[in-house]
Amino acid sequence: MNATYRFTRALLAGCVLALALAGAAAAQAPKGKLVLYTSQPERDAAQTVAAYKRVNPAVEVEVFRSGTTEVMAKLAAEFAAGQPKPDVLLLADAATMESLKKDGRLMAHPQAKVAGLDPGTYDADRTYFGSKLITTGIAVNTSAKSRPTSWADLAKPEYKGQIAMPSPLYSGAAAIMLGTMTARNDLGWPFFEKLKAADAVAVRGNGAVLTAVANGEKTYGVLVDFMAFNAKAKGSPIDFIMPAEGLPAVTEPVAILKTTQNADAAKAFVDFILSDEGQKLAASMGYIPANPSAGMPAWMPAGMKIKLMPTNIAQVVDNNSANLKRFAQIFGN
Amino acid sequence: MVEAAPFRERFETRALLATLVVVVALLSMLPLARLAFEAIAPGGVPSLDATSRVLGDATTWSAAGHSVATAVGGTLLATVLGSIVALLVALTDVRARNAYVFCFVLPLMLAPQVVALAWLQMFGPSSTLLKLVGLAPPPGTRNPLYSPQGIVLLLGVQYAPLVFLTLRAGLRTLPRELIEAALASGARPVRVVRTIVLPLMTPPLVAGVALAFVSCLGNFGIPAFLGIPANYLVLPTLIYQRMAGLGPSVLSDVAVLSMLVGTIAVAGIVVQDAMLRRRDFRITSTSLSARPFELGRWRLPVEIALWSVSAVMLALPLTALVLTSLVPAVGVALSSASATLDNYRFVLLEHDGARRAFRNSFGLSATAAWTIVFIAVPLAYFVVWRRSRLVRVVNLVAELPYALPGVVLAIAAILLFLKPLPLVGVTLYNTVWILLFCYLARFLVLGLRPVVSGYYQLDRTLEEAAQVAGARLLRRIRTIILPLVAPAAAAGALLIFLTAFNELTLSALLWSSGAETLGVVLFSFQQGGDANYAAALASLTVVLTIALMLSTLFVASRLPPGVLPWRD
Repeated sequence: MNATYRFTRALLAGCVLALALAGAAAAQAPKGKLVLYTSQPERDAAQTVAAYKRVNPAVEVEVFRSGTTEVMAKLAAEFAAGQPKPDVLLLADAATMESLKKDGRLMAHPQAKVAGLDPGTYDADRTYFGSKLITTGIAVNTSAKSRPTSWADLAKPEYKGQIAMPSPLYSGAAAIMLGTMTARNDLGWPFFEKLKAADAVAVRGNGAVLTAVANGEKTYGVLVDFMAFNAKAKGSPIDFIMPAEGLPAVTEPVAILKTTQNADAAKAFVDFILSDEGQKLAASMGYIPANPSAGMPAWMPAGMKIKLMPTNIAQVVDNNSANLKRFAQIFGN
Repeated sequence: MVEAAPFRERFETRALLATLVVVVALLSMLPLARLAFEAIAPGGVPSLDATSRVLGDATTWSAAGHSVATAVGGTLLATVLGSIVALLVALTDVRARNAYVFCFVLPLMLAPQVVALAWLQMFGPSSTLLKLVGLAPPPGTRNPLYSPQGIVLLLGVQYAPLVFLTLRAGLRTLPRELIEAALASGARPVRVVRTIVLPLMTPPLVAGVALAFVSCLGNFGIPAFLGIPANYLVLPTLIYQRMAGLGPSVLSDVAVLSMLVGTIAVAGIVVQDAMLRRRDFRITSTSLSARPFELGRWRLPVEIALWSVSAVMLALPLTALVLTSLVPAVGVALSSASATLDNYRFVLLEHDGARRAFRNSFGLSATAAWTIVFIAVPLAYFVVWRRSRLVRVVNLVAELPYALPGVVLAIAAILLFLKPLPLVGVTLYNTVWILLFCYLARFLVLGLRPVVSGYYQLDRTLEEAAQVAGARLLRRIRTIILPLVAPAAAAGALLIFLTAFNELTLSALLWSSGAETLGVVLFSFQQGGDANYAAALASLTVVLTIALMLSTLFVASRLPPGVLPWRD
């Protein structure tokens, strides 16, 4: 064989190999439709989806957004009809994910890159991964004459009729807060009974608490951190207080459903959430990211330490329905 | 009547009637039958478990009590407001009547949740409107609308136009002689109204009251926005919360609750019927309608009073809504520095859900409008010109899904479509098609009534001439009747479009990702704490509604009277 022939053959082989690799890469790039069920606020969900689509442009994303309880009810309806729609879930708390995992509804994603994340934020079997850290503290309208410094302070009679809190019957973060606080000796159920005696109102979700406190209808509210700080940045007359006993926190985990119709896009979504870009996006939206190396949100001064309330997830899951029932008895439906 | 019609003509008539009966039965009867079945036999097993559990629960009866209380209160307010305005507009010589009727009827065409949102922005310590004029109450004051009184007020404002419309239609038939005889005998105008007009107007008044009662009972948007934050539940919001919070495991319980709502509504209608049976209200003369009373020096004060009522009912809340949509965040005062169009930009350009909702709402409403008109034209043929007992029953059945509260139909549809359809194996639940089905069922009567009144204007001899010349039924409908009835049909289509575009009750329970409607996105924004996005979206829908209503005024002269509610 002459040199030209061998060269041509090598060139052709190289081209075919390159094409095959490109084809394989193209085939592996996620495409199609991805359905996301989330309890994130509307704007944040829209931003997350938009950023994901910039990295995976061939995927079309549909979002269903509501409080955690309502998302779970919708999911239950779809399970009952035998046709679950979502591919990925991004819900407030790990307890909800634990119950789904127990029912065998979640798909594991062992290849997820969890380097740099605290092992407590993701499931050991890699079925769900915490995406950020959302703490719950006390929000106060700037016109307030006095400010509580601890959770126990909030239940004092001088704040009577001025407190709004999110209902755990609707909000996943509030359910975790309930489970965490009732397990403590210094707060427990007496704290909530004192709140009820102070005419605290349990409203539908953190959004309603934000509206009530920023509007001035209630002077004090139990609220998640990012909502208070984002509203404050836009000019709302609201401040956020970190109580002395510590703040209960949720990790807003992301998970893939076993019945997903688009596993590639779903895995890409989880990867995006945990990636550097996804974590930086969370910080820019005002959340504390799960990966500390991605930076902190603008409202957090450098070197600030947040005192978290420890949560025993397993215990919260076990006691959840009993807790909700007791809460409903104290505060009404 | 051409009795000796050839075989093909009879066959075509019977086939068309059979098709229409099947369609109406599928849309109206089937869901309600399935609902009743579920209440007495939950999960397919006959048992009174669900019924006794629900009826034994204190929450049920407190919600039922709240429902009846707010419905009665709202109806009372609507009746007083609507009848006073109807008497003034129809019987006196106030000026600018057309413009006033347009403004007064507008709240009826707006979505209840938009009305609720607008009024909410009018009160409260951080009301942009109040802050602008320096009248904002101190922080810590509860917004007074979050209460049963607030719900009653808004229900009255929303449905006063209903009473107004029915009463005004009745006042048109008031004969001149009775009033002139009374005036000639020396009676003062107020006495004439009290002793002659009102007794004669009892049928339309009672009809308006019954309509207002059923509408107040079934309203979801207002108690959802005003009652839920105050934990004041009525039956529709209780059903919504149960379904949203607990899913289909409580479907049987919720079916019983729906039957309860339907029963209360039917009781209202039965009472109305009973009230009308006891006396004879027939008006025997068919002369000209009454000459308007002259108000003399009272005219200007009355006009000012009327327009102030309209300002409070309409202009102020809408202004508050628009002002709130211009503020970047909740609680920020409006000033030249803080005013921003950001909310509109987000809603129109950035938020996928809102854009999809515009498309979905437009698409669903337009499809429902034209499909219903397509069914209504042949159906009206039978209702007006081929009346039989079967047709009368069909007419009554078609009214049910609109007469009963919307939640009843929504729950019935979920029950019907939760499992895949028997032959084709496709599940309609959680898709946009279940919503379309409910729109078709609920708004059928909205399209049927204008078309029926269009038929009454037609001369039947045209159709009979065509029949004698050999044209069969479908051809006659297509070539002769349809062109003549087209304006009325188009008006019906527009009415359906506007109502479907603004509705929330059905979509709140039936929407799914990808199939959200404008009402749902509005609700979601408000519940998520994004009151400013909600205000921006609401303002856009108001502008759209007003624009559509105004566009009909160009063709209003060709329509039968009373088809367009906002036109005198």
